[in-house]
Amino acid sequence: MALPLPPGLTPSEVAFLCEMELVTVIPRQRLESLQLLGGTTPALIPPYRNNIPLWLALLLKKQRRANISPPPWLTQNSLQAILDFENEHSSTFSPPPRLPPTSSSTSSISPISPPFLPSSTVDAPADALPYHWLELAEILLEAAPDDFEDADLVRRLCRDLRETRMSKLRAGVDVLEAGGGVQMNGVGGMEVAEGRSFITGVIDGLRKISASKEQARRERESDERENGYPGTQEEDEDML
Amino acid sequence: MTGYYSINAILTDSQKLPCTFDLTVPHLGYLEGNPGAPIKSGTKLELPLWLAEMLAVSNNGSGSTVLTLDMPPALSGRVLNALKADPKTLDLRSLAPHFYGLGSRMLELFEEDEVGEVLGETFKKRAKEIADHAHNPRGALGEGAEFLRGLDEEERQLFRAAHESAKAVRTWMAELKTT
Repeated sequence: MALPLPPGLTPSEVAFLCEMELVTVIPRQRLESLQLLGGTTPALIPPYRNNIPLWLALLLKKQRRANISPPPWLTQNSLQAILDFENEHSSTFSPPPRLPPTSSSTSSISPISPPFLPSSTVDAPADALPYHWLELAEILLEAAPDDFEDADLVRRLCRDLRETRMSKLRAGVDVLEAGGGVQMNGVGGMEVAEGRSFITGVIDGLRKISASKEQARRERESDERENGYPGTQEEDEDML
Repeated sequence: MTGYYSINAILTDSQKLPCTFDLTVPHLGYLEGNPGAPIKSGTKLELPLWLAEMLAVSNNGSGSTVLTLDMPPALSGRVLNALKADPKTLDLRSLAPHFYGLGSRMLELFEEDEVGEVLGETFKKRAKEIADHAHNPRGALGEGAEFLRGLDEEERQLFRAAHESAKAVRTWMAELKTT
């Protein structure tokens, strides 16, 4: 009851999870492959680019030992196209990137959830926002603005996208019912973290208001189950 | 409501309801301010919800109840019509500090499908407005102040939750810039 934190993840926790995403770097110095708990990182040999986790990329960037190349969806053209899509479709979010085709032999272990998909490397699809889009964009724009072609424009587009999508998320309460839900396909991790307490609050409130109606419906149903169908009961009385 | 120790549930139950005594009850006069005297049948009184509910549903063996409940003025037809017309202009807090709590308790006692529907619609429409104010930092000072003053207790919690989560994201973004 009296937990200091609200349920769900805080923004910094979401950002921490985002740092596991793979990003593409162009190394400036050699770095042998590292044996880490999360797996072995590839050896970095300039000027060949390679995919490493975001946290390592940020570290190397800070030490000026690598440049980060932004994912293809984090460019002016892609963001503008996605923003146009969001403005045209007032009730749905732009769809998440398609899952890679799973080969049947490795389907049991093929990665299908966000941190294990290469959704932020240079090979990522350019037309869809991945799960960690907002966190990744903010972090990259902050840590490596010089690796973008036009960082200010990208930043502005990201802000517009965020505003548009958040207002859609808020407007989603219109279709809420006590037992219903909002269509949230394609909503990112940070957006979920931001909208969670409000949306659950609305659902809780609606549930309280319609609790007595629900109770009455349950009682009626259990009555009907006990007595058989209402119609058959009358027949029984007639027979008596 | 939730929980035996929930402060909100206790405060909701302490809101007053108009009720009429159907029987003459001896020694209950202190409820209307003259201790020792009996309370006459037909007396109209405002009793807290928890007391009125117990007296209304209790059975004294003769088949009649001690008192009958009326709808509180906060849920009168006039208020419901105003809510149907425009939910956003009403000052729910002045009607009842725990408006929705009172509403859902009354729905437990009365079968009023229409009241339930109006309350649900109102809550949804106002929730949307609350979210807009919570995400707009000027909201608390500017044009929205009138609306925000009229929120009932549950809506205030909703506002606080929405505001806190938006603030947490903004804080995180600001921290990114400093580190």
